Amino acid sequence: MFDVIDAVLERAAARGAADVEAYGEQSTSHRIKVYRQEVEQLTAAQRRGVGVRVFSAGAVGHAYTSDLSDGALDDVVQRAIDNAAVSDPDEFAALPAPAGEPADVETFDPRLVAATDAQRIAIALEVEATALAADPRVKTVEDTMYVDGDGEVFISSTAGVRGSYRAGQCYAFAYVLAEQDGQVETGYSYSVGRALEELDPAAVGTEATERATRLLGARKCPSMKAPVILDPFVSAAFFGVLSSALTADAVQKNRSLFAGREGERVAGELLELVDDGTLADGLESAPFDGEGVPSGRTPLITGGVLQGFLYDTYTARKAGRASTGNGLRGGYSGLPGVRPTNLVVAGPATPLAEIVAGTERGVLVTDAVGIHSGANPISGEFSVGISGVLIEGGAFTTPVREVTLAGDIVGMLTGIRALGDDARWVPGGSILTPSVVIDGMAIGGT
Amino acid sequence: MDVAAFDIGLLHATIARALRRGGDFAEVFLEDRESLGLRLEDGRIEQTSGGREVGAAVRLLSGERTYYAYSDAVDEAGLTAAAESVAAAVSAGAAGPEVVDLGAVRADAGKNPVLSPPGDVAIARKAELVRAGDEAARAASSEIVQATIGYGDTRQRVLIANSLGDLVFDDRTRTRFIAQVVARRGEVIQTGHETVGGSAGFELVDEEIARRVARTAAEKATIMLGSKPAPVGAMPVVLANGFGGTLFHEACGHGLEADAIAKGASIYDGKMGEVVAASIVSAYDDGAIPNGWGSQAFDDEGVPTQKTMVIEDGRLTGYLYDRLRAREAGAPPTGNGRRQSFRHVPIPRMTTTYIAPGDVTAEDIIAATPRGFYAKSLAGGQVEPASGNFVFGVAEGYLIEEGRITTPLRGATLVGNGIDILMKIDMIAGDFDVKTGICGKDGQGVPVGTGQATLRIAEMTVGGTG
Repeated sequence: MFDVIDAVLERAAARGAADVEAYGEQSTSHRIKVYRQEVEQLTAAQRRGVGVRVFSAGAVGHAYTSDLSDGALDDVVQRAIDNAAVSDPDEFAALPAPAGEPADVETFDPRLVAATDAQRIAIALEVEATALAADPRVKTVEDTMYVDGDGEVFISSTAGVRGSYRAGQCYAFAYVLAEQDGQVETGYSYSVGRALEELDPAAVGTEATERATRLLGARKCPSMKAPVILDPFVSAAFFGVLSSALTADAVQKNRSLFAGREGERVAGELLELVDDGTLADGLESAPFDGEGVPSGRTPLITGGVLQGFLYDTYTARKAGRASTGNGLRGGYSGLPGVRPTNLVVAGPATPLAEIVAGTERGVLVTDAVGIHSGANPISGEFSVGISGVLIEGGAFTTPVREVTLAGDIVGMLTGIRALGDDARWVPGGSILTPSVVIDGMAIGGT
Repeated sequence: MDVAAFDIGLLHATIARALRRGGDFAEVFLEDRESLGLRLEDGRIEQTSGGREVGAAVRLLSGERTYYAYSDAVDEAGLTAAAESVAAAVSAGAAGPEVVDLGAVRADAGKNPVLSPPGDVAIARKAELVRAGDEAARAASSEIVQATIGYGDTRQRVLIANSLGDLVFDDRTRTRFIAQVVARRGEVIQTGHETVGGSAGFELVDEEIARRVARTAAEKATIMLGSKPAPVGAMPVVLANGFGGTLFHEACGHGLEADAIAKGASIYDGKMGEVVAASIVSAYDDGAIPNGWGSQAFDDEGVPTQKTMVIEDGRLTGYLYDRLRAREAGAPPTGNGRRQSFRHVPIPRMTTTYIAPGDVTAEDIIAATPRGFYAKSLAGGQVEPASGNFVFGVAEGYLIEEGRITTPLRGATLVGNGIDILMKIDMIAGDFDVKTGICGKDGQGVPVGTGQATLRIAEMTVGGTG
């Protein structure tokens, strides 16, 4: 692939473009779905392409192609030049310069590509079989999947950035429907890893079923202001939405409720929030980001105090500082944008059982729908629909559903008063988080 | 590569190769997609981006099993490798059926006419529209602190060939203009969103339209600055025309998609012919609305799109099928087999889904509501098709008091159950309108239209912060 992106740089030079970056990607992936112990869908995929960024007096043009023929490479270079011509110049937009040695992190396990279809299928079958066997009230396992991806990325620029790495990951997933007295509840679970051997299919099946069956018999609960425990899945979803407000892009564009609050208390004092692109077990880890900048570790909240934000090259130049290695791309067709790598929610852990025992009245939230539509990352207000289990007198009592949880993000962060001892990786944004206990949340029910 | 003039002999050979070791249906899907996106934020047109993606997918069906392979290499080697990959995956057995001869290419260019192909329009001209939008948004109020204006067009050419002998070419152009505006008053920050789009060309947007879309978004944001936190509780809810249709799409439409039905994962499973809505409710999915954002001449399996009645006078009358689910159910496909790109397996998807208009006016409905919640614009939502439970964020909402729209309310969500709310619709107006969106399912985003007239749900749970 280096030959292709080098050819792109040569063609751009021939057309008079001096500041050019080429990004190439090639990957293979597998996706297997099983249903009722039969393979329902098996997909094998190959993907490749290049993206080109041209910087012309502060104006940026981007173009991409999956066709790597000579004519298509000429075309993609010309498109990037044409696109730069309509973009407005910006004094802070510049081709990223080499920013040091890539981070030392292993992102590929050769066992991933040594696997056969039969082994991949066996994982999915075990997930489903375990889910079905875990409880007679399982109506069906609507989705059972095994997915993997093995990709190489390449970057080269006229500024001297040059690098490549290979990354692989896989996951197993189940989505279970359980039924009792005509009421259907759902539950899901994942297992993620860099090789099939790291997945725990039985745990996925068992947990997905448990999460569905524990909600059977759920009904609305009375409206109240009470502490809630967000389980790791729900916590991860909240921190995922919140993280967009912790990017320098949102701050500089007036879209962040955290703008200008560095050094202020914004969360319960036990809370630590870190972006870390160098963790061995973080699936978003990489030696460098989509601009060739080495991945790093960036504290966002320490002791409840806002420490700073995430930067790519552009936002860093604008702020007069260095990129934090958070210029991430969604593949060759995407532009780099400021996004978290792996987010880690940490702090002193309290055994979950102790937390529950100490709760006179509250709700364990195991599912929240509408976080992406019901939460406003600009104003910080949110109102989402939740399911979970009521806690009364220090013990779980009845499941609840069709109730809402409302508040604002800073109020919620400030209300965090304990963290569970059940930290785990949640994919979909790569977030490591335990259960999070928040005081005084508004629950809307009957 | 020219998709329309692709080597038909190679398509035939690829289909035959895929069926070599078994299976009962094979298909080749070729795609050539060109896209351009312009985005203005902070008064500046940012990194303008565009490109071209070409690729091919080979799909093999064997009973209820699907084998799928795709590659960016659209040549003999790429197609052969993909066909070999699916053939190798099927359990070894006798060869599948003979491939029916591919006849002449079918196309239906007249269905979504493109008057001004975006590819023929200079990018600078598109940039002018985005700037006009920014200007209009900022001129709307001194409280506007940010405007994000987007313009996008795509031309997607697909060629679909299958073992039944179908050979379909579809040339799809879509154009869209989007405005998202942020207003601020003291500590209160609110956003407004508006969009226009269609399966049409550059004729869809001009300066005046760009300005109107941006101004509307700015007005929404500004109005919400004066909002109060929404109350919590059950009350009558009036859903405005246009964006209100998102609720039907999410809360009911997904449950009508035949994959959810086949897995017993829909509240509409086994309810054909039964009452699932109030008798004043009729609803459709229509992928053939001329120039509609969710429209195309054929679906992504080469089946012509159509208008499908899903609810007639409150009774369930239809599901939305792709080929696989139609085969299983012994029903004809309905032109709802869609995929985001060659990298995605086609699945049943909505096109433009809507509740048909009624015969009162929106004013009648408000006037007939002593106290309630008026949801003018929804922010999107989520639903569990299995239970029908849904949650929607309300982008723009108001209190209704004594038959009049009064205080703007913020932070509201609508919580409920799909069948329950359809049964509780008690008034539908005639002011029908369709809005554009991108619907996500199984990791695939496809353009959809959602529509309805203003209607009232007699009682629904509003979750607010007040």
